[in-house]
Amino acid sequence: MTCQRCSKTASVHLTERREGERFELHLCAACARKAGITPPDSLPDLKLDAVVDELIVSNVGELVGELARLVCPACGVKYMEFRASGRFGCPEDYRIFAAGLTGILPRYHGSSRHVGKTPAVHPEASPRLHLRARLREAIVREDYELAARLRDQLRSEDHHA
Amino acid sequence: MTLDDLTQTSGEWLKGIGPESDIVMCSRIRLARNFAEFPFTNRANRAEKAEIENHFKNAIATIEPKLDYIDVNALSTLDRQFLVERQIISRELAAGEGPRGAAVSREENIAIMVNEEDHLRIQYMLSGFRLQEVWDAINRLDDQLEEHLAFAFSPQLGYLTACPTNVGTGIRVGVLLHLPGLVHNKQIDKVFRALQKINLAVRGLYGEGTQASGDFYQISNQQTLGKSEPELIRILTDVVPQVLQYERGARNTLLTERREVLHDQVSRAYGVLKTAQTISSEETMLLLSAVRMGINLELIDDLSIATVNELFIQTQEAHLQKLRGSELGVEERNIARAAYLRSKLGAGRQSRH
Repeated sequence: MTCQRCSKTASVHLTERREGERFELHLCAACARKAGITPPDSLPDLKLDAVVDELIVSNVGELVGELARLVCPACGVKYMEFRASGRFGCPEDYRIFAAGLTGILPRYHGSSRHVGKTPAVHPEASPRLHLRARLREAIVREDYELAARLRDQLRSEDHHA
Repeated sequence: MTLDDLTQTSGEWLKGIGPESDIVMCSRIRLARNFAEFPFTNRANRAEKAEIENHFKNAIATIEPKLDYIDVNALSTLDRQFLVERQIISRELAAGEGPRGAAVSREENIAIMVNEEDHLRIQYMLSGFRLQEVWDAINRLDDQLEEHLAFAFSPQLGYLTACPTNVGTGIRVGVLLHLPGLVHNKQIDKVFRALQKINLAVRGLYGEGTQASGDFYQISNQQTLGKSEPELIRILTDVVPQVLQYERGARNTLLTERREVLHDQVSRAYGVLKTAQTISSEETMLLLSAVRMGINLELIDDLSIATVNELFIQTQEAHLQKLRGSELGVEERNIARAAYLRSKLGAGRQSRH
């Protein structure tokens, strides 16, 4: 469809009902701006996250879809980032993304259970890992007061240890 | 210890001693370990990497044997390359950024990388086929570190690593083999396919993705979960003797069927290395490989295996430049390499060893 004011392709289409009659207006972007009809500056919100999620679910199933939404609170890694890079961000990821590992580990190792060396002391989930996550976050937010407090806490615990 | 001290010595793993050292250059085990309280290296910020490095340095101050810490972040590109050539650090650690380093024992048997893909990559090497000895030593070293450091570990999944392909034992058990006979009779691919079928990886001299040079191949496990360390070591100790048998068979066939041709090739290789005025790295590796086999088959009798093993390392780019004390372009390197080879092998050399 061509612009009703020049011969370029129309990209703005308006319909209006006035006194029972239907008016149509087709203009190109330049003529629409001249007529005082301005298209919105920013692109409409496409809700990309939702679209990506939907694509994942339709391609690889609901389980991955749920996993894809998971973010590790201790390091900020998303499951799909792990799948893309093959690397976890912290020891907690093994717990957070456990559902995703049930397929991967047997496929690669032929097993999903450790039978080797065990250290005498083994903190499975270190609370200090989470303290450090809060510290990193505080630094990014430039909340230096909180950062200093968290650093003191980490230091005093370290001293006790 | 400084890097310049290292240019005067060479690692124990090059001495050419220990069982089967005509084919097995060295036995090596590495363990991947991570601190429970830090994110993995790829997510750690600079301050955290520095803390990891400090914790580690404090821990090694108390253990035996004494280790020297090399701050890789403070090194020049040339010095990093020098450590890669010596098998002390990986290409990944050399190319990395931020606080990182390596602790090394005087004999260079032990090399512990800090802030590589995992916080710690503990490596132990011995010349010859001695995996059990290597495991006993690295296990004791790991026990000592564990007294001072809390490693990320889960009862179900074992030692937790940045990549799940290393989770569990975090162990890689490997041997570095010299296989010129199997390369010559073109059976090498067949052997590799058989190894891959039983889930063993085959790599070149400098690890993942590197071209095999000088007919050296590393064979190592890929599985790290579901089998204990001794079980994974046993897979290698069962399989490697078969590969050695194939290699010896290939060498014997060459000796009995084409002795003169083989002797000629080996002698010419030795002759070129002794007299060349300029020589590339590729040609050097190729000729050294022939000479190494020639010594093992008693076709050359005035040269030690240790000397040849060392030359594989010392004729590489960064080593030549460190020995010269200056950066060299390709042509200058080729001239320096030939001069170095002549000084070690040529008529004017000091002694047999």
